[in-house]
Amino acid sequence: MKKKQIAITLGIMCLLLTIAISVQIKTMNSASSTVSQTLADNGLRDEVLRMKERYDNAYSDLQEAQKQLEQVRQEATQDDNTAKAQEAELKENNMILGYTDVVGDGVEVILQDAETTNLSLDVSTQLIHYDDLQNVINELKNAGAEAIEINGQRLTSNTAITCEGNVIKVNGERVGSPFTIRAIGPQELLYGSLRRAGSYLDLIRARGNRADITKVDDITIARYAGVSDVKYLKEDK
Amino acid sequence: MIFIAIILGCIVGALIGVNMPMISYTYSGYLAIAIIAALDTVFGGIASTLKKNFDLKIFVSGFFGNAILAILLTYLGQKLNVDIYLAAIVVFVGRMFNNLGIIRRYYIEKFSEKKKDTKKEEQEQVENSEEEKQN
Repeated sequence: MKKKQIAITLGIMCLLLTIAISVQIKTMNSASSTVSQTLADNGLRDEVLRMKERYDNAYSDLQEAQKQLEQVRQEATQDDNTAKAQEAELKENNMILGYTDVVGDGVEVILQDAETTNLSLDVSTQLIHYDDLQNVINELKNAGAEAIEINGQRLTSNTAITCEGNVIKVNGERVGSPFTIRAIGPQELLYGSLRRAGSYLDLIRARGNRADITKVDDITIARYAGVSDVKYLKEDK
Repeated sequence: MIFIAIILGCIVGALIGVNMPMISYTYSGYLAIAIIAALDTVFGGIASTLKKNFDLKIFVSGFFGNAILAILLTYLGQKLNVDIYLAAIVVFVGRMFNNLGIIRRYYIEKFSEKKKDTKKEEQEQVENSEEEKQN
């Protein structure tokens, strides 16, 4: 009887132990594919992984908090008419600022570097540059686009489109060819104004690059994924 | 009996562990030191069963107590910027080798005793047959 008890306990302990070991092995396998030899490198890698994890956690916390905020706001404005109006205004402002996902009809512009390089010409002209994106965005905005994204990056009032060597950064995130620019706005106007003769898309096409525009219904443009902090702005009273 | 239980536990544990979710990288260091502590206790348990002075209470409390203490020490070390977990590893692994030595010695002695016994029996049998012949 006593021996049986001992055997069962030992078995359970080994069970716990092997569970822990296999979980640990799994974690380590996913954490690092290349094992560095020196302690300093290991320390740095640990630091990076920890920071990344903290960032992920913080980001999910942020999203959670925003959901809660939304809920609280809805609850608070349930039976109050002025509050309801304010809530609607807030929602609209958030849409304009790029802090909510939006849906609507619009156009999709695809810009792509030339597929075959013609070395007799200047290679630089056969690429899509950041200023090409800026010009297309300008034309779209001029034609009345209300929400625009480039390769999933929502354009906000603080978005910068910059040249970073072989990639372009939008909102500080790298994007590369092909560029898919999606815009919600007056569909016919957007489409027509970008297809007019001599439009900027024509110029891009003339350089040997691909520039297509199509009408798309029910485009979903995701919200701006980052956080905008206001540090220097103060309300003028 | 005991070894069947251990092997069964290991196999079932591995199967469950493979399907468990991953833990976050930050805590994997603590889990690692807890594993070493628990492993030490299990070897200690096996060694003490062989020595016939196994105590269930000591074993279970050692299993969890050692693991928790090791985790706490590691945490403290991280806060103080001292690698205390190294000390824990040295102690636990040292004890593990001790216990493994005890287990090894027990089985080798058992094995060699058996051999001696069989040799003695053979000799006796030979002597007996010789006596029979003389008779």
